[in-house]
Amino acid sequence: MAEGMSLALPRQATTTAWWSPRRRERLLQLAFLVPAGLYLVAFFGYPLAQNIVMGFQEYTTATFYTGEAPWVGLANYVDVATSAVFGTAVLNTALFTIGSIAGQFGIGLAVALFFRHRFPLSGVLRSLLLLPWLIPLIVSGAVWRWILDQDNGVLNTVLGSLLGGLHPGWLTSTSVALVAVVLVNIWVGIPFNTTILYGGLQDIPQELYEAAALDGATGWRAFRHVTWPLLRPVVTVVLVLGVVYTLKVLDIILGLTGGGPANATQTLATQSYHLSFQEFDFGRGAAMGNILIAISFVFALLYLRVARRADAS
Amino acid sequence: MARRRAVLATVLATTSAIVLTACGGGSAPSGPVTSLRVLDYYNNEPDKTVYAQMLDACGQQNGVTIEREAVPGSSLIAKVLQQASSKTLPDVLMLDNPDLQQIATTGALAPVSDFGLAPTGYAPGVVSAATYEGKVYGLQPVTNTIGLFYNKDILAQAGVQPPTTWDELKTAAQKLTSGNRYGIAFTATADYEGTWQFLPFMWTAGGDEKDIATPQTAEALQLWVDLVNSGSASKSVVTWGQADVNEQFMAGNAAMMINGPWQFPVLAKDPALKYAVVPIPGPQAGATPVAPLGGETWTIPRTGNPDRQAKAAKIVECLNTEANQLALATKRSTVPTKSALVSQLVAQQPDMAAFSSAVQTARARTGELGAEWPKAATRIYTAVQNALTGGAAPLAALQQAQNG
Amino acid sequence: MRRGWSNTAIGIALLAVMLFPVYWMVNVSLQPSGSAVATPWFPVNLSFEGYVTALTQQGSHLLTSLVVAAGTVVFSVAVAAPAAFALAHFKVRGANVVLFAVLISQMVPGIVIANALYSAYTELGLLNSVGGLILADSTHGIPFAILVMRAFMSTVPAEVVEAARVDGAGQIRTFVSVVLPMSRNALITAALFTFLFTWSDFLFALTLTTTEDVRPVTLGLFTYIGTYVNDWSAVMATAVLASIPAFVLLLVAQRFVAAGVTSGAVK
Repeated sequence: MAEGMSLALPRQATTTAWWSPRRRERLLQLAFLVPAGLYLVAFFGYPLAQNIVMGFQEYTTATFYTGEAPWVGLANYVDVATSAVFGTAVLNTALFTIGSIAGQFGIGLAVALFFRHRFPLSGVLRSLLLLPWLIPLIVSGAVWRWILDQDNGVLNTVLGSLLGGLHPGWLTSTSVALVAVVLVNIWVGIPFNTTILYGGLQDIPQELYEAAALDGATGWRAFRHVTWPLLRPVVTVVLVLGVVYTLKVLDIILGLTGGGPANATQTLATQSYHLSFQEFDFGRGAAMGNILIAISFVFALLYLRVARRADAS
Repeated sequence: MARRRAVLATVLATTSAIVLTACGGGSAPSGPVTSLRVLDYYNNEPDKTVYAQMLDACGQQNGVTIEREAVPGSSLIAKVLQQASSKTLPDVLMLDNPDLQQIATTGALAPVSDFGLAPTGYAPGVVSAATYEGKVYGLQPVTNTIGLFYNKDILAQAGVQPPTTWDELKTAAQKLTSGNRYGIAFTATADYEGTWQFLPFMWTAGGDEKDIATPQTAEALQLWVDLVNSGSASKSVVTWGQADVNEQFMAGNAAMMINGPWQFPVLAKDPALKYAVVPIPGPQAGATPVAPLGGETWTIPRTGNPDRQAKAAKIVECLNTEANQLALATKRSTVPTKSALVSQLVAQQPDMAAFSSAVQTARARTGELGAEWPKAATRIYTAVQNALTGGAAPLAALQQAQNG
Repeated sequence: MRRGWSNTAIGIALLAVMLFPVYWMVNVSLQPSGSAVATPWFPVNLSFEGYVTALTQQGSHLLTSLVVAAGTVVFSVAVAAPAAFALAHFKVRGANVVLFAVLISQMVPGIVIANALYSAYTELGLLNSVGGLILADSTHGIPFAILVMRAFMSTVPAEVVEAARVDGAGQIRTFVSVVLPMSRNALITAALFTFLFTWSDFLFALTLTTTEDVRPVTLGLFTYIGTYVNDWSAVMATAVLASIPAFVLLLVAQRFVAAGVTSGAVK
């Protein structure tokens, strides 16, 4: 057991202050972090920096070839923020995110709690729950488009026979389209939430529940006093990551509605994609994308502050 | 301890290499040209094989092997841009014709006249699509456009003649709507496919993409709004792409549809379905139909190596010979761009007659606005979607889109 | 026991609703190729055309996807686990900054990373390589794995770690012999999602390959999705075939998410 024992004399005869045990200890600790740190800087640092700079430049298709991108300062941001679609996009993004997270997390937690106790076939069913994640998004998008088709889709056929005369235009009506997209996103997100929360629930020792039951706390009270506090770190991760991922969602919306009808499902992410890859104005697309990153960032900051305060209390 | 340090060092070296070389640029290879790189988006059958064979044949004739990359259609431009920035553009680049202007503005393409090529005898719309600042940058062997398909049996049963004016179109669609079946289906999606289908209506009515907030364009949009509001067309047209519209037509859910000749092989899979094609009606009888021009053009990027570019030009020329144009046209249900060949095509494939005549008067989408076309295209589909979902009256929707 | 089976019934009902789209996918894959509109609810005309096409053309792509996904899991977890442990238990000064950096990395749109990687890979000759794809797909895996594993590892009581150190174990020994076994759920969950993210990645598959040699199945799928025409039964058959090996792996992995791994350690 000789590695880095803080009380023993160092083995090497040639000890300098550099290799003192405490220093070695610190370096070892850092070594745990270094591979990840290097990877992050190499693979994320440069692209992120480039994207931030691109928001301040007039970046067009020509720039890709010539490398010239004149500096325009805040012009892209002003353009983007005053465009007609910006307000709609912000509102849609907010509604989409709140609706998705509430649904995904709520249902995900309920399902995770449901699976907590073993019952016949619970293992198989839990694995089956992950199937939606194995389907390429383009395929899911297509399948949902058929299911939600106003005239022939399965959903309206079922609703029509159950409730008679109800034929909502899930993807064709400006008032309903956002709801439809949120519902599909919840469907996509439930497996993610359920699986992580289930893993977290399993890490809570059974003895604590038994002790609580002895004190008379079962059901809802056991949840509040045993489950929830111990699940909190995992809940924090799931919620923050959930919001960050939902803000970025692109493929589902593009696959279902393309941002329509009439911008009813246009979010900041889809608009950023449209500006860059369909109108070829990469400066404005990057500006829109950076606004999105800023929103993510502020949310993460606020949430972590609140969570830290709650942990401390 | 030593092993871990070695691992650390390797990781450091690799990652710093990645970061440092990200700033570097590429270099052009030298020596005799034995192979050429080609990039296109024909990644589905039958196009994939048709072009593979033709490119290989052209390559053989010119003493080069072809290294071909076929990507999904929606990803082509992203690839082109990535390759432009790392200076690794292919030797022969296929582009969808409205994208040519965007790429030409970058300076990445060489004019075909540099290599002694010219689009002589090509349909005027085709030439205008490939022309940037007075020079031609691409040669397009085949083209297509859209027309009005109708189900012969359903129309015969209802006693309806194929419409030739907008009023006839509205009445016919009304009469043909019954039960689960809509009179007509078209594409009005929130992307350039929706714009593409609206263009013949807009242009034939006299509208123009430079300013869409005009009474003529409003008239065209009103036609679409009337069709949807009267129930002759499904509200789902705002979500149906051209592939979906074809599926509706084949399932018998639509008696007529606006679509293009690329659907012929798909329609052939159901021999019981009898259909015919007529040009898209105009507002009044005798109006010259102006349809949008489709198809892809072949360009020669500047790779910095004159020998490779010369060989690439030979390949582009080979793809555009009369024999190859006819071959492509017959195999891919498209129209040759050399006007003289059209009659030969119609003789071999009579069902291409409606499209062949439309191509002669067809108009390039980028003809007037060049690289500014994408913004106008966005405005058009925004207005169309707004009007069709009841958000605003046609003229108001067009004005909002034009100014917003 | 009766209570157990009623739960099973509820579970099945729940899954029936959740998996209906998956059922539809299988349904379409078993239909003769063509229209997806007129697809009946049940494949009355059973046809394996789609599967024949998918197997013959996509077999090697499936293998590529599997290799890349497995490699990414190994690499990502190997890099992320020590970092997660360090962030959870060491009083390192920059810990919060690193954590925040990891979180921010999740906010960057994938296309931005893809473009930057394309230039770098072209220089380094990493295009069309399994190793290159593994490195790139780890951008999905490493940050996520760090965040999730850190959350799980922070529930390992500090006393347990202290006890190991007092017994004379060094940092690495503590990590490998004490913490890792207790963090089984964390490792499995992180590995699971890294696999899933990589398996469904399309962006890097598209950007970082130019030939069919190393082509994941997500890109291979697009052979049947045309600009104007779609061959849906082949698409769905490919998607179904692609899910089977992944599903088997998931089934196996899920078995290992065990209850109360930390229980008993504190006593």
